[in-house]
Amino acid sequence: MQVMALIYSDGERWDALSATEREAIYDRYRAFAKEASDAGVMVGGNELGPTRDATTVRVRGDETLVTDGPYAEVKEALGGYFLFKCDSMDDAVDYAARIPGAEHGAVEVRPVYVDPAEVQL
Amino acid sequence: MKYAMLIYGDDSQWVDLPDEEKAKLRAEEMPRWAALFEELQKADPNVSGHELDARRTAKVVRVRDGERIVTDGPFAETKEVVGGVFLVDLPDLDEAIRLAALVPVAEYGSLEIRPIVE
Repeated sequence: MQVMALIYSDGERWDALSATEREAIYDRYRAFAKEASDAGVMVGGNELGPTRDATTVRVRGDETLVTDGPYAEVKEALGGYFLFKCDSMDDAVDYAARIPGAEHGAVEVRPVYVDPAEVQL
Repeated sequence: MKYAMLIYGDDSQWVDLPDEEKAKLRAEEMPRWAALFEELQKADPNVSGHELDARRTAKVVRVRDGERIVTDGPFAETKEVVGGVFLVDLPDLDEAIRLAALVPVAEYGSLEIRPIVE
């Protein structure tokens, strides 16, 4: 099964870190990514830019409404994700717990929906 | 510029429907999704997309002082939760907005566009 690990963390906390502190966190992420890749668990992953760079789009009737900012102003926002291939949700939880962001924020693990009848990208 | 298009929708009405009802609704919307995939692929042949399973399948993992805390349910308590994501490489934000507006969920939910950190 494929499982997405959505990493929620406090953007203000990140902004307040020094360059050295950030590099140390990136090192831990790289180490985690390598470990998960070597285990054949890692399918992909991305870091999202800060929520201040977000744009939200809604269509209501014939109108497209575009607003600056994220969908929801929350203290802990989605900051990135990994895509895992694993045997069970328990395995996904094991890997999610090793993501550095789990230590101060939260990681949501959710299976990727599979519908064989669907158009696959 | 690479963008993540996060799809936020309210699945609370949807999850309790019988399977055949769900299949019918999916089938009705499918031509529009297919048209969207075509547009996305025209814009970026390497586009990828993932739909997430219902929010009740989610687990939230936190580690505090070395201890693992696992809870059921999605992280966000909001009415709309992230239900899928597209990853697409586009010339600019305007193109991302144009494509986001083509996602069927934009009409009853919200699309959040976020640049990817390279």
